[in-house]
Amino acid sequence: MALLFVGLLLTIVVATAFGPVRLTFADVLRTFLHPSRAGEAQAIIVGLRLPRVLAAALVGGALAATGVLFQGLFRNPLADPFVLGTSGGAALGGALGIFLIPTLSFAGFSATAVLAFCGSILTMVLVWYLARASGHLAMETLLLAGFAIGTMLNSATVVFELHEEASNSGLRVLAAWLHGEIGVPAWSQLALLAPLVAIGILLALPVAGRLNTLALGEEYAAQLGVDVARVRVAAVILGSLLTAAAVSLGGLIGFVGLLVPHFLRILIGPSHVRLIAASALGGAIFLILSDTFARTLFAPTEIPVGVFTAFLGGPAFLYLLNRRSREATQ
Amino acid sequence: MTSPLLEFRNVSFSRGSRLLLDRLSFTVEKQDMVGLLGPNGIGKTTLLRLATRLLRPESGEILLQGKPLVEWPRRGLPRCIALVPQELEVPFNFCVEEIVAQGRVPYLPLFARTTSNDRKAIDTAMDAVDILALRRRIYSELSGGERQRVKIAIGLAQQPQLMLLDEPTQHLDIGRQIELMSLLRDLNQQGLTILAAVHDLNLVTENFSSVILLTPEPSWITGPAADVMQPQLLERAFSVGQSELAQYFNAPARSELIEVQWD
Repeated sequence: MALLFVGLLLTIVVATAFGPVRLTFADVLRTFLHPSRAGEAQAIIVGLRLPRVLAAALVGGALAATGVLFQGLFRNPLADPFVLGTSGGAALGGALGIFLIPTLSFAGFSATAVLAFCGSILTMVLVWYLARASGHLAMETLLLAGFAIGTMLNSATVVFELHEEASNSGLRVLAAWLHGEIGVPAWSQLALLAPLVAIGILLALPVAGRLNTLALGEEYAAQLGVDVARVRVAAVILGSLLTAAAVSLGGLIGFVGLLVPHFLRILIGPSHVRLIAASALGGAIFLILSDTFARTLFAPTEIPVGVFTAFLGGPAFLYLLNRRSREATQ
Repeated sequence: MTSPLLEFRNVSFSRGSRLLLDRLSFTVEKQDMVGLLGPNGIGKTTLLRLATRLLRPESGEILLQGKPLVEWPRRGLPRCIALVPQELEVPFNFCVEEIVAQGRVPYLPLFARTTSNDRKAIDTAMDAVDILALRRRIYSELSGGERQRVKIAIGLAQQPQLMLLDEPTQHLDIGRQIELMSLLRDLNQQGLTILAAVHDLNLVTENFSSVILLTPEPSWITGPAADVMQPQLLERAFSVGQSELAQYFNAPARSELIEVQWD
């Protein structure tokens, strides 16, 4: 864990140094130590690089922690905010905020965030009841829910484009969300989201302890004196909160919540408490690196980081799906 | 007079429109080893789930140590009564020790860490069912017999007065069945009260002190094992003919004969 934490700090420094204007690590460290001193390097770091790197860290940590929560809740290693459609729900909710409350459409961060949270939580409840209707949690239900909500989101953009008063900036935000692009957020936005993500992850730790019991099955957990309904509600609320925070910064970034916990589970075992803490750090590292590659690989053109994680995560997801269905037929 | 460990008083329960249990009454005394018999779908699992408050009776009352089940605190109940389910599937690569440790959940508040007391209970439980050597093995990779032992170890880690088992010998070969029954007898002799749903009638008479036989009316017969295990009662409960039943009880003898020829 300490190793991951040091790793995260190093990653932040290294990633901040990379970009169209190549900075030295010394520049970066000097800026951290004497933030008040003016200079070209400082301006780039404080104004552009650092907010973006920190945003990537928040988004990655939030998505990976949410992945662990949802995987424990659904007892399924393939559950992830993107696969389940909660990211899509959050984006759809956020889009409604941008377009239907036009006065807040540009800097309307808070209304958007609240609606994103509602969208996320509604999606989870919907997926939950769909899955419940079929008795046990079928993989198809999870995948189709994610697919359906993703499609709704795409169609919604078309509707919003037709909407005459739709501001261009709103459309641009929505397009960025659809591809999963981490822009350069305002420091005020980070100041609001950082505590939110940190609190969400801290509150998720005790819930994660109960998810270990839930791994034996809901009925078994109930028999052992666990208040299953409360654990479920807590996991859904915290997961939705973290997803909404992630989406409002980076849009639909897929597979982070799937790849990072899966990889860490191999390294440190499946116990959810350790896993959620490690995934939060690991997810942050992973997304900072991904975003750094995404913005430097084809410089000066940037590819959205969501596209980059999809290239990595898609095949990993298919591999897991294949392995699971083979296990099921054995 | 001390109250019985577990008591069902006129308990009724239906599944859909079908009445499964009709004013069922019985008691389990401390140190008893009770076999729960009956044909498939008669409500054996339902009875066990009622006794652990996973289901609520439609009418009647269930008492544990003389206190109505509904009055037991949520985490107090699993410290007194443990249910070992028929199937346990665990996703992810949890190892045996991590799974047995879940039996301590009733003793641990949300933010508490396991104490040396908890670790001792976990080790004692694994030792009792002889799975200390498996502690680091991945549960989902274990054999049926090993899994059965892990499930019982979870129950023992709960340090209960009463252990309920749902078909503990299912999916086990004859050798593992005999091992398991002798393990349950040992636990019983060490003071654990046992109520186990069993399928294999051959295991009943020599292992259980008394029997609850659920019959299709729905009704039930309860008493010492030797009294309940009478051909005419079993024929009625399982709707089989006399000759088929006699053949069933003789079957092990015949398979022994085949084995001799093979040698």
